[in-house]
Amino acid sequence: MARARRLERKPVLAVIVTAVFFAWLYLPILAVALFSLNDKKSLSSFGGFSLRWYDDLVHNTALLDSLVASLKIATVATLGSLVLGTMLALGLERVTSRRGRVIGAVTLLPLVTPEIVTGVAALLLFTGIGLKLSMTTVILAEITFSIAYVTVIVRGRLAGIAGEVEEAARDLGCTPSQAVRLVTLPTLVPALVGAGLLVFALVFDDFVLAFFTTGVDPQPLPVRVYSSIRFGVSPAINAIGTLMLLASALLIVAALWVPRLFNRGGASSLDLITGGDQR
Amino acid sequence: MAVQEVSQEVTPERGRRPRSAQRTSLWGWLLALPTAWMVAFFVSSMAIIVLLSFGRTTNDGYPAFATSTANYRAIWNEVYLELFLRSLTYAVATVVISALIAYPVAYTIALHGGRYKNALIAAIVVPFFASYLVRMYAWKALLSDDGLVNSGLRRSGLTDGITFLNTPYAVIGGLVYGFVVFMILPVYASLERLDTSLIEAGKDLYHGPVRTFFSVTLPATRAGLYGGVLLVFLPALGDFVSAQLLGGANTFMMGNLVQQQFAEGQNWPLGSALTVGMMAALTALMVVYLRATSTRRREA
Repeated sequence: MARARRLERKPVLAVIVTAVFFAWLYLPILAVALFSLNDKKSLSSFGGFSLRWYDDLVHNTALLDSLVASLKIATVATLGSLVLGTMLALGLERVTSRRGRVIGAVTLLPLVTPEIVTGVAALLLFTGIGLKLSMTTVILAEITFSIAYVTVIVRGRLAGIAGEVEEAARDLGCTPSQAVRLVTLPTLVPALVGAGLLVFALVFDDFVLAFFTTGVDPQPLPVRVYSSIRFGVSPAINAIGTLMLLASALLIVAALWVPRLFNRGGASSLDLITGGDQR
Repeated sequence: MAVQEVSQEVTPERGRRPRSAQRTSLWGWLLALPTAWMVAFFVSSMAIIVLLSFGRTTNDGYPAFATSTANYRAIWNEVYLELFLRSLTYAVATVVISALIAYPVAYTIALHGGRYKNALIAAIVVPFFASYLVRMYAWKALLSDDGLVNSGLRRSGLTDGITFLNTPYAVIGGLVYGFVVFMILPVYASLERLDTSLIEAGKDLYHGPVRTFFSVTLPATRAGLYGGVLLVFLPALGDFVSAQLLGGANTFMMGNLVQQQFAEGQNWPLGSALTVGMMAALTALMVVYLRATSTRRREA
């Protein structure tokens, strides 16, 4: 009854705003994708479909080096932050002392610190301790930044399963480390997969941290794209931009849906992002 | 019988004590490595930036630690303050526009999305988590003088084209495009949790959807809106990509200034002082904001 009454009057203005919003959200992206297939060099008139800009990409060794560098950075940073972030989440969930709360707050700080501050600070730290700027420094900075994401997602999942299952395992004769290894970690798999995909996409696309912590060669992909965009718009960037958008869109879709496959009817990472299951 | 019951109750209690102590040490151990990592790479980097903000540049151009307040005196001048105020204005405008967009969008999806709710939210989240840089570039390509919008305008004969780039509107538009999702998600989450019978009751009480909205729906979702304001404001204030790609020298924000000191100007101590100043201002604003919103929340 109440439901029927609510649905019979749609807020017309809000629906219009929503429709316009979706158009505004997708039009620029679709324009980039469309013009990446343009036969002409123009960015405003379409001269027919062609893959020539993609062909150029394949032969652009500097760009390919950057792509490989970014893939390596994202892979290592994802694995590193998954390990550290999960350890942190497991620890924080159980250590409820004051010390635990302080540690919890500190590890969340990167999430509320403007990225430029984190980036500049990392640059100073690395130069200060005499570490040469390279892919390694980018990876170190990205791990530091990504730990918080993993911790938040894993803690959300841990709150759902509570300590009882682990307690049961202990009663059945597991040692504490066995209980974690055999019981807790397997139930965390969906959250870990979701967090891993999300962090991979974020790190792969991350520009600001990479910009401040990278060495000269090879530059991560976003940094290289940035330096070419600064000097103007070109069809080749449309092509690489389209590929970057596609790749991260696929990763995010997977991050949203994979946990759901493991756990039908349960919380997905979407709920974690929107806070749907918390509070 | 009774004795047995008691002993059954007592034994696990007794058994738990050493076990929980054991557990605490295991968990404490798990915390050690990530904590050490965060101290080594995050906390110490923040400490270095504060230290270097009191530093100086040596004669051969290298940054060096010192105990001078020269950098802070240098940033306290009209040029930098104007830039700070401009950044603040852009960030506030971004927050306001984001809220005006986010609320109707979240409202439509949460209350009228039906079974497409999750799909619609995913359709918003997916492009937003995909490359911020490429999305800024997309706007640059669209709005540039020979871009699609201007060539369309010229073809329609309405105007000879409008200069969009290098204006505050382009920069603020870029910031909204970049961060509006951080407003939509918390507002959506709070609308999702909203008990719709409240709206029904409100309609009976107040007559008319407008008064109902302002006296029932909006106050009930205040928490989400407050959260979204922070999540948009923080990255918008520190951003330099939007101003760099869509704006020009007269739309530069604090982030651009910091970036110049570190990447181009090479005056790291001055850049550090700017960064610390920015963080201090941000923290002060945050404290005021959190105080104000928490009292309002308590009153509500």
